[in-house]
Amino acid sequence: MKRFLNDLRRYWAYTLYSAKSQLKSEVANSYLNWVWWVLEPFCFMLIYSFVFGTLIGRKIEYYNIYIFAGLALWDFFNRCIKSSVRMVKRHKPIVSRVYLPKFTLIISDIMVSAFKMMICLGITLCMLAVYRVPVTVNILFVFPIVITMMLLTYACETILLHLGVFIEDMANVVNILLRFLFYLTGIFYNIRTILEEPYSSILVKLNPVALLIESLRNCMIYGKTPDLKIIINWFFISLIVAVLGTRNIYKNENTYVKVI
Amino acid sequence: MMTAKTPTLKIIQIPGPDEKKPGAAAKGAGKSGKKRWQPEQAEPAITVKDLKIRYKSVAAYSIKKKLLHLQGADTKTFEAVRGISFVVNKGQILGITGKNGSGKSTLLRALANIFSADEGSIDLHGHSVSLLAIGVGFNGELTGRENIMISGLLLGFSEELVREKMDDIIEFAGIGDFIDMPVRTYSSGMHSKLAFSITAVLETDIMLIDEVLSVGDEKFKKKSYQRMKELIEDRNRTVVIVSHSLSTLTDLCDTVMWMHEGKIMEIGDPETVLEDYRKFMS
Repeated sequence: MKRFLNDLRRYWAYTLYSAKSQLKSEVANSYLNWVWWVLEPFCFMLIYSFVFGTLIGRKIEYYNIYIFAGLALWDFFNRCIKSSVRMVKRHKPIVSRVYLPKFTLIISDIMVSAFKMMICLGITLCMLAVYRVPVTVNILFVFPIVITMMLLTYACETILLHLGVFIEDMANVVNILLRFLFYLTGIFYNIRTILEEPYSSILVKLNPVALLIESLRNCMIYGKTPDLKIIINWFFISLIVAVLGTRNIYKNENTYVKVI
Repeated sequence: MMTAKTPTLKIIQIPGPDEKKPGAAAKGAGKSGKKRWQPEQAEPAITVKDLKIRYKSVAAYSIKKKLLHLQGADTKTFEAVRGISFVVNKGQILGITGKNGSGKSTLLRALANIFSADEGSIDLHGHSVSLLAIGVGFNGELTGRENIMISGLLLGFSEELVREKMDDIIEFAGIGDFIDMPVRTYSSGMHSKLAFSITAVLETDIMLIDEVLSVGDEKFKKKSYQRMKELIEDRNRTVVIVSHSLSTLTDLCDTVMWMHEGKIMEIGDPETVLEDYRKFMS
């Protein structure tokens, strides 16, 4: 833990600069430059509003916001997990020349995706205002939900970063698992209406991504208090996995270069 | 096959060039003007003990191969470094030579903490270390300026210090307006020039140099060689150079280590070791 904190402090400047550079490089050669960071999710919002708000029926209240908020969190998780599998190989030019605690690669990656998620959540807030959705104080639960999502993502990434170095096909396996998880998470539909109780509750409780997305929607759009007990449980499970995953990376990180 | 000599004490006991017989001392000093390591300064900067580095059972494997061919574990083991020990003192310039596949670069990467030791230990006594190698990794999408900052931060320097040194690095690299272009647009020469300039300007206590003294065009080669000499002349800097160029090693180093198949064949003053190496290779 001491080593982790020391390394985090020592490499914080690099991690932050690397994340900023990554974001910048993604739009560096485009005509609209940084405007794409806002324009892209804004366009998606318009598409969802048109397709799901106008063309398809409205079985779910504020359906376009419902989808957009869900996708904000899902895209964050999905992007980070996919990226973590090839994390070390992608940074081969750097990690084969200089020592770098490999967990900083994960943190930098999470920062990039978190920035994009924050823009999406900002647009969701604007949508709440445009559609005059009654907002309650429960919207503040967004913060613990997002923090838990980040910790959960970090925890999963520590495991996948390690496996991705040694197993060539890991990216294919992860793609399939993510697709499966996508349908178990209920981005475009409500799991509770698709499945009967108690199966839907069990599924939401056992799938932390579904739990966090449902909680986010509930507190942002519908003014409900999320089930804090289960969120806290998942927070601590993620914390334990994150600690174990980081320890495992520390233990093996110097052999990664030999493999890649 | 020749047997490996025991190097640990020998490297410490090598007299400084000034203590050699008059002819040899004059020859060494005259060539480089930097032979300054003295036995009484013997403060270790790098201590390597029984170091073994293997490439084994860490090969990435495919699930398909495992399932369809039911292969056993990838147990191919290659021992790149086979139990070597030596000490490099503060201010010393150690040259490492040997034929391809002798474990030189693996050793250098282990000293830079990039490879882990399978057995034995490496102690850098708290000194900062940087590895200068051809084709230092850059993010191709970022500009040269941004890559300088990232490299500097990775080497453990503060953002302020890198900003301070930024102009010196850019001037030394001499790549003009390309510094604000994405690195992927650079030629290999420009790439190497920038890589060299970063490590040459952002100085660390221990510099590990891997075949880098001949980067860029003729003009840059001279400039980089001169800069390398300046860096080496700093009495507080410890340098380890891996090179196939015997003239470079003779000129720059006060000690040379000859590696062969992961072991130290000989370690000592450059003239003797390189002469033996020459004979062995001929």
